[in-house]
Amino acid sequence: MMTGMWALYAREVKRFQKIILDTVFSPIVSVALYLGVFGVVAGGRTITDGAHSLPYITFVYVGLLGMMMVNSSFSNPSFALIISKNVGNIIDLQLVPIKAWKIGVAYALAALTRGFLTLLVAVLATVWFIPGLGIHSWPYLIAGIGLTGIEFGMLGVSFGFWAKNFETLTFMTTFVMQPMIFLAGVFYPISTLPGKWAVLSQFNPIHHNINIIRYAVTGYSDTNPFISLVVVIGVSALFFGIMQFVTRKNLRV
Amino acid sequence: MQSLIVQNVTKTFETPKKQILTAVNDVSFTIEEGTIHGLLGPNGAGKSTLISMISGILKPTTGHIKILGIDVVTETETTKKLLGIVPQEIVVEMAFTVEEVLYYFSGMYGVPIAERRARILEVLHDLDLEDKMHERARNLSGGMKRRLMIAKAILHKPKFLILDEPTAGVDVSLRQKIWALVRRLNAEGTTILFTTHYLEEAENLCESITLIDHGQIIKDGKLKDIQKEFSKNMIHFELFNHAVSHMANVQMSGNEYEYPMTALGTDMAALTAHYGDNLKSIRSEAASLEDVFLKLTNRV
Repeated sequence: MMTGMWALYAREVKRFQKIILDTVFSPIVSVALYLGVFGVVAGGRTITDGAHSLPYITFVYVGLLGMMMVNSSFSNPSFALIISKNVGNIIDLQLVPIKAWKIGVAYALAALTRGFLTLLVAVLATVWFIPGLGIHSWPYLIAGIGLTGIEFGMLGVSFGFWAKNFETLTFMTTFVMQPMIFLAGVFYPISTLPGKWAVLSQFNPIHHNINIIRYAVTGYSDTNPFISLVVVIGVSALFFGIMQFVTRKNLRV
Repeated sequence: MQSLIVQNVTKTFETPKKQILTAVNDVSFTIEEGTIHGLLGPNGAGKSTLISMISGILKPTTGHIKILGIDVVTETETTKKLLGIVPQEIVVEMAFTVEEVLYYFSGMYGVPIAERRARILEVLHDLDLEDKMHERARNLSGGMKRRLMIAKAILHKPKFLILDEPTAGVDVSLRQKIWALVRRLNAEGTTILFTTHYLEEAENLCESITLIDHGQIIKDGKLKDIQKEFSKNMIHFELFNHAVSHMANVQMSGNEYEYPMTALGTDMAALTAHYGDNLKSIRSEAASLEDVFLKLTNRV
């Protein structure tokens, strides 16, 4: 029943709109602060992959936008579901005649919407301060943003259903998500890392999301963007499977 | 036709200490379409577990449950569409207004956008919540939140409505309104499964009951038949003048007399003929549901 899934999607979009200062505008403050700090520290440094050269601030900026997309998409469903569990209205999801996977997809699409909205507002607010920005590849940009939002939305749904309480979720966010984001090449090209660390970074799925978005905007890439696209599609399929399993297990005891 | 068939249903849970806890044990009962059926039992009897299985939230360990002939395990989404459920716990959306809560919830049950507003207004009118439509749900009083939960359950016009203690903690006036609504929905053709701790409520509303304790059915059937079965089979009467000769088997009980009943009409006629104008009052005593409940759950 698609009506049901879309109604749930609309409810989740409405929910984050109700607290838009927290959900959409607060991540932009973080991006602005990072930009301020890195702008001062980096000065006029440039980054090059051989074919492309770009100002370091531009490199970091696009990485930060990718990081924001990952964070927003992940936190939207995970926190919504944990709050529902605490308040007790998770029972609504157990009662409604919507298949478990559609419930997951509705939450993941709402996560994508929030991620995209946050990204849009952030770009409009900060793009004026960044030199040399354009769109290198629209297909990669659309795929990068769309897949990143859905992928981490689905991961957020899985964490939200799986985590028993806020502490578990915060633990996972702090000790799993944040290290992965910071080691994904947001702030530095992974090619600058010593040998095995550069190879290890290739196994960090978030690196490929950042890489696609950065390539789409600037033309610069740490890894072949097509390989990154394949990895992101594969990881998304994996996260879909996990989400479906966890959602079904938690909605039907 | 039977709206609900519960057939040999058992639900076991594994405790953290790896012990097997049987919450519902080989339960079977049916509910006829268009009736109000009471599911009664003391706290911890297994009522909520049973309702969760009927609702499709819990999967029975063994046995089958069918709603209007459709299996709740294999066709969960279909049976969920037929059901309206008012859970025991009062839970509301924190951020949304009453209208928003109902708008999205009815959407999740497949009510088309074009019909939602009219349906919301109709339900809010029925539940006296029209003037609260634009208020945040979390700011409503307890009774209003309870009504909002009932509104959520009936928005999509379910064929089978489950009310899990809907009148717990509500005032007398609201309780009467909920009873009236339940009777009206039933008159319109909705089959209703009702759990309550107020036995006089079940007596007032339900045509049939299932009484469970320790996860097992201890009585099931038409309320009147059960009451008849448990009535004390005594005729009670009072006399103006006590200094008279008594019929055989008449015994004094407080200020009145008891006569063991064999056939109500014949016995009443015999007593009336014997005591004539000396008879102050005469009645047969039916068992209340409370009597039945206490007796069957061994709480007397």
